[in-house]
Amino acid sequence: MIVTLLLLAVAALLSLVFVYLAVFERDLMKAIVFSAGQSICYSIMLHAMAAPDITMTYVAVSVGLYSALLVFVVSKTERYEEV
Amino acid sequence: MRTSLVVLLALLGAALAASGALVALGLKAPLALRELGLYYVLNTIRDCASPEAVAAIVWDYRGLDTIYETAVLYFALVGGLAIFRAAKAQGFKKPVGLTELSKTSTRLISLLIAAVSVCIALHGHLTPGGGFPGGSALAVVAMLAVPIYSVNSMLERGITSTKLIAVRGAALTALGLVALLPVIRGLEIVTNQRFYPGAVLGFTISGSISMYNFFEFMAVASGFAALALYLSIPEEAFREVVERG
Repeated sequence: MIVTLLLLAVAALLSLVFVYLAVFERDLMKAIVFSAGQSICYSIMLHAMAAPDITMTYVAVSVGLYSALLVFVVSKTERYEEV
Repeated sequence: MRTSLVVLLALLGAALAASGALVALGLKAPLALRELGLYYVLNTIRDCASPEAVAAIVWDYRGLDTIYETAVLYFALVGGLAIFRAAKAQGFKKPVGLTELSKTSTRLISLLIAAVSVCIALHGHLTPGGGFPGGSALAVVAMLAVPIYSVNSMLERGITSTKLIAVRGAALTALGLVALLPVIRGLEIVTNQRFYPGAVLGFTISGSISMYNFFEFMAVASGFAALALYLSIPEEAFREVVERG
């Protein structure tokens, strides 16, 4: 029980760090990688909450497809964000 | 940088203290199942011949909802295709791609992803997983192949966007037929156990659940792979088609 709660707390905080990094990163490719990191944290949380079905879909869509789709989108625009 | 580190450490401390306090206060995960959950756990295997309660709920107990959901996805795709009308993914004259290192590692990873995705889809009625996770995992292979080997690699193997869309349409039609077939015997739409067999030659197939999973797997994988091909169309070629009307 305590291990699950600890895992949830650490994964949730780590996802917050990834969100911060993804929002403030100027290089959009790096931002996509940070966003994928945040998704990995979320899938750890889902697994800790004993939802393997959701975890599988979430990993395939948010880490695989979503990141790949965004890489395509960034390739059609500029890689570096200007202020 | 140092301030944000301090803030993060403080947040971590607060989160750990909160989880510790919750345990100290006697918070426990509810061990007893609620009535509804208990019904599914006890009766899924009898009602749907499937030990996987989630798949049974998605494709049998609430099957009609899922069929409508799939129909919505299908019509959304029709709208998307209208935008891509007449635009065809074409190969480059000189195939471009990434380095040999990334190509070799992608080849290995693709094999693993493909094997795992088929397992997820075909075991969907027995273990966690199913058509949608399996299909989207397989689509990752296409999403990797297009940028790393260039779109030519897929077109040379005869995988075109038209064919993929055709596969998707056929799979969704088959899915609809599986849902509709019980009607000819006077049963309700999306009937499972009263029409389809629970096991064939000793293999548990859970009636229609494994069929739905397989067709959904085909539909999702081919749909997303077609998307990868469409996204490889250069901006200029696409604009030309849209402006021509």
